[in-house]
Amino acid sequence: MNRWRRSVGELQARRRQVTECEQALAALSKVTACFQQMASSLGSNTDGGGLREELAEIRAIAHRIYTGLHRRLITLLTEMEHGQEDREQVERLWVLFLSGLETFQKDLRKANSLQELFPLTQRRDRNTLIKTGSSGGSEVAARAATVQTPWVSAGEERCPDLQTQISRLDALLQEMLQRVNVPVWTVESTQEAWVEAGKEEVDDDETLEDLMQVEVVSQDSTTTGCCHHSNCRLGCILCLLT
Amino acid sequence: MLEMQDPTSGVKSQTQRLVITTIPHALTGEDVAAWLAKRFNIDTAEACAIGTMMVAFGYIYPLRDHKRLVLKPDASLYRFQTPYFWPAQQWPVEDTDYAIYLAKRNIRKKGVLELYEQEQYNNLHKWLNHKWDFIVMQAKEQYRAGKERKKPDRVVFDCQERAYWVIHRPPPGTVSAMDLGLLRLVDPNQDEVKVSCKYTSCFSPLSLQIIFTEQCIMRPRVKSSVSLGAIVKYMTTYKLHDPFLAPVLPSNPWLTDDNSFWKLNMPYADNPTKMRVERWTFSFGELLSDPLGRDGFRLFLKKEFSSENLAFWEACEEVKWGTAASIHEKAQQIYKTFLARGAPRWINIDGKTMEVTVRGLKHPHRYVLDAAQTHIYMLMKKDKYGRYIKSPVYKDIQKKAIDPELHNFSEAQIEQNAKKRRPSLSPIILRQMEEEQKAKLAASAPVDITQLCRFTAPVPHLAVYSGICETQSMASPGLAALPNSAACPSPISVAIDSTPASERRFDGSHSGTASHFPSITESIETSVGTAGEEESQTPVARPRMTLSLGRLLRRGCNASSVFASLSPKCAVAAGSGRVTPLGTEPQPHTQHRRLANFFQIKVDIPPECRIYPIDSEDEQESPGSARGGVKEIICPWESITK
Repeated sequence: MNRWRRSVGELQARRRQVTECEQALAALSKVTACFQQMASSLGSNTDGGGLREELAEIRAIAHRIYTGLHRRLITLLTEMEHGQEDREQVERLWVLFLSGLETFQKDLRKANSLQELFPLTQRRDRNTLIKTGSSGGSEVAARAATVQTPWVSAGEERCPDLQTQISRLDALLQEMLQRVNVPVWTVESTQEAWVEAGKEEVDDDETLEDLMQVEVVSQDSTTTGCCHHSNCRLGCILCLLT
Repeated sequence: MLEMQDPTSGVKSQTQRLVITTIPHALTGEDVAAWLAKRFNIDTAEACAIGTMMVAFGYIYPLRDHKRLVLKPDASLYRFQTPYFWPAQQWPVEDTDYAIYLAKRNIRKKGVLELYEQEQYNNLHKWLNHKWDFIVMQAKEQYRAGKERKKPDRVVFDCQERAYWVIHRPPPGTVSAMDLGLLRLVDPNQDEVKVSCKYTSCFSPLSLQIIFTEQCIMRPRVKSSVSLGAIVKYMTTYKLHDPFLAPVLPSNPWLTDDNSFWKLNMPYADNPTKMRVERWTFSFGELLSDPLGRDGFRLFLKKEFSSENLAFWEACEEVKWGTAASIHEKAQQIYKTFLARGAPRWINIDGKTMEVTVRGLKHPHRYVLDAAQTHIYMLMKKDKYGRYIKSPVYKDIQKKAIDPELHNFSEAQIEQNAKKRRPSLSPIILRQMEEEQKAKLAASAPVDITQLCRFTAPVPHLAVYSGICETQSMASPGLAALPNSAACPSPISVAIDSTPASERRFDGSHSGTASHFPSITESIETSVGTAGEEESQTPVARPRMTLSLGRLLRRGCNASSVFASLSPKCAVAAGSGRVTPLGTEPQPHTQHRRLANFFQIKVDIPPECRIYPIDSEDEQESPGSARGGVKEIICPWESITK
């Protein structure tokens, strides 16, 4: 009886751990997405010291998440023998974790080289930033900051700076690939194709193409309004509106 | 790039105004072109070209018409791409990212993607199935993160991303600037690393230069007027046949995606097109390189009874281009069939070349038959080619050649054709088809017309050649086992026993007078694979041959004793010891004297040069004779030592 209870307890504990890992994976995904969004504006006119600091913060969060997740997944995998029910799920998580880390690694590298290309140490460097038309803002960073690790982490190491983080992540990935014997192709996805399209909430905004239909009015043109512009179509309405 | 956006001296920046928001930093195409022209001091057309390149590579993207990556020098708008999406750093563009992008688009547009995007999506779903959960998760997160941003920023980012992927995964039918260039294996800006060769390492740089200049001097040179004349001539002949310069019938598959042009011009198509047939008149090389051309030529040669030339040439090509393992046996086969004395399909090459070739066959390598092949090639070119072009065979082919009609596709049809693109036949299948063709050709062994004639009637021309031996020339299907007869049945291969095409060998011997040998070339063509003995016209004729029927069947042997004695095939071992060769290479058009001379030359070669490569096969055909264990070869010189 005792043994039975113990085994149930073990099962439950393991299941808890697995769900924890899943949550951590979702969180990592969120963080990396935010990181990518912000990294895409490196080198553009929205770039600045603030952006780079935010990037560093996000990196730190990501670092926390993935080191913890890595540790937990490794222990889970080594504990469970082959053939147990949860093993498949853990393997799937492992593969997804691997791909997530690879993507993040790519983004880190890009961010690194972009930051080197466009250094912001001096004032005149700001002139070299590409004007891309965006105006920046830290909404994305705010979103990233809301991500929490599903476990209580105390006493974790500080996040290293970009270079070291990249090299450590390299080493981590190598180690992951070599140590754990999970063939990547055995994992199957749980989702069908094209499913995600229907699930998302309805978007009120117009699609991009609709937005682009409207003609542009040149700022310094001497014509009084859009109506006289040769390419204008909806311009008149615009004029009336604005 | 950086200069272009300098607010004072750069391209004028404009504001893009959308329905509710305005987004700054847009540029018009004409401004870009004008600025480039001013900055680099070039004319507008070139500035447009450079601008187009910048757009094609993704540094600037158009805001409307985003799929056509050109710089339109009008008021259409462009914007700079953010460095994250630049191709300059050559970060790898991965499928995972593309999958995430497609999933995001799927979410945003609720399942309405373009056709090619849908196809890509399905493919990626299959290939990246193991990561698919991650991809969807990431796509969702990115989408949500994107929504956090302000509206104009979001629009800008979407535009950027879309432009990025238009460049790296171009929609079908567009030309991608990424096709070449970025994936080059050698970086042209890098200094070349000199590979030190072990031969050159022991030389000083000066001596290397000396060697180099010496080699320069030794190279053959041509006057520029001559070479230019050759180029002009080439251009004028080929200018209508070049698909770049002249439109192609029925239609150029690269332009209309309709591959009937390729199908019509397959190497073994049934009926060649008129253009193809015309090409054969340009040069002999063209004719030979086209399998259909060769077919026609072969037919013509058969009528002229000189198809062994083409067969020899083809066999040499096979050696040259075949596998290294098969060179040895192929070369032997060729020797037996074409080069040896009394070979069934003996070719007509001069003595020196023959000597060189036979010597080389001792240790055959890929190019051992090159000299002979060139000789035959020249022979065919100078003599037969001209006649072929004027022959009725060729005219016939010309008449039958087809002239396909020009296709006239509308735009919609072209798009449809593009969708129906399929990969071409795999090279394995093509190779199989080739092999089949070759087998077909080999199966229909050349039936020599003369042989048939000889069967039916004592061919009159034989009389021309040898009055004496006329009677003997009627070898019945079987053999003329006349003890004294000079006629031998022609070499019959064991396989083709049933159709003993007899070759008339004439023993012009008795008197040593030259009898013109019959055009042995024709007769040779009968059986493949055996070599017969030709008659020589040595004066001595001591019929001492006692050949058994079987022997005669297997190898036509000369009844003449001389030959018999000298022939390893004959039972008579003890040759006269004379330096009379076994058989002349029948050279129908050459004089007797020359033959004798030829002989002498050959004969003088010491017996050590038993260069003949064929070995064990012929053992059975040489009678026991003194050489019991030694491998018998047909090499005529061997007999000298008997």
